[in-house]
Amino acid sequence: MIDIVKVYTIQSCPWCAKVKKYLASKDVEFIELDIEKDPAARDACKKLTGMDYAVPVTTIDDETFVMDYDKDELDKLLCL
Amino acid sequence: MKERIHKDVVIVGAGMAGLTAALYCGRMNLDTLVLENALVGGQIANATSIENYPGFKSVTGQELIGTLQKQAESFGAVIDEFDEIERVTLKTSPKLIETQEKIYEADVVIIASGMNRRKLPLAEEKKFSGRGVHYCELCDGHAYEGKIIAVAGGGNAAVDAANFLTKYSDNVYLIHRSQLRADDVSQKRLRANEKVTVMLQTEIKALHGDKRLESVDILDKATGETKNLAVDGIFVNIGVEPNTALFKDELTLTASGRIPAGEDCRTEIAGVFAAGDVREKEIRQLTTAASDGTTAALLAEKYLSKLKAGD
Repeated sequence: MIDIVKVYTIQSCPWCAKVKKYLASKDVEFIELDIEKDPAARDACKKLTGMDYAVPVTTIDDETFVMDYDKDELDKLLCL
Repeated sequence: MKERIHKDVVIVGAGMAGLTAALYCGRMNLDTLVLENALVGGQIANATSIENYPGFKSVTGQELIGTLQKQAESFGAVIDEFDEIERVTLKTSPKLIETQEKIYEADVVIIASGMNRRKLPLAEEKKFSGRGVHYCELCDGHAYEGKIIAVAGGGNAAVDAANFLTKYSDNVYLIHRSQLRADDVSQKRLRANEKVTVMLQTEIKALHGDKRLESVDILDKATGETKNLAVDGIFVNIGVEPNTALFKDELTLTASGRIPAGEDCRTEIAGVFAAGDVREKEIRQLTTAASDGTTAALLAEKYLSKLKAGD
């Protein structure tokens, strides 16, 4: 089974944009979940991080995650 | 072994000064690279409304910088916002910029590294960072819908943040240790905003909470009285500090940590220019940053012409 990279975002967040651009620059396919528009995504993100409305959050297995734009941690999480 | 790449111009920083320099360098057909390890746009990347940039009645930071970035790229400038600079050597020819992945050999370096937001100077800041203490209203403001928010600071950024955060909360405190320094337009808007309580001459002394921020201790400097204020989140806008750590062994810095350079943006090292907020000067605005970027780029081209002619 192929793990899908998920990035929880909101539209106005510049750091969310940076995470998405970084993943794209590394040819990492991901799905974006906008927690403002998707209540289920908001709940899932809250369950994952313990924080409501904290973005950007990147996860590959819905257990481990990277908060904010942290290049070294993203590289570790995604084995880049 | 890292790949070595030659560039006519390497610009450090992609804020208003750096991107303006990139636009001009690109238009002069100079092989130009911009390196940025934080947000393209610098301090204005988070700005919700800019009303003092000529030609725009009101524009967001992301709109303004997005357009400028595309403009610079359309003339050939390359912007790398992921490869971080590890060290610089400016006194050699060419100058060396070593990043995590490459070594750039540059004939000209334009330093436009701008400033970073100052962190809340309290021991508990680290414990609550991201758990009640925040530095980006646009990113994290949503988390405080219907909650009690404080904004620390008294300049334009703080006042605008307080106004912006009333989008989420009817209970916003603006806490500042002295008097407001924001411009009249922003202050007027603040005073008219019934959702904001302004607390001047008031200093935040401590942060409390179990896993997340729950309250702050504030000192009323007029009465000397300290009290505890319930707060769910605090957005810090207490000023900025120049981003010059990379250059401290190469260039003389002023007491405030900025780079001494005149209106021509030339530093003490030939071929090294300082532009924007990182340069020691009296007025630091978006317009003056754009002006510095223009000046640095045009004089960089003159320097390069002489260098190539062997003068």
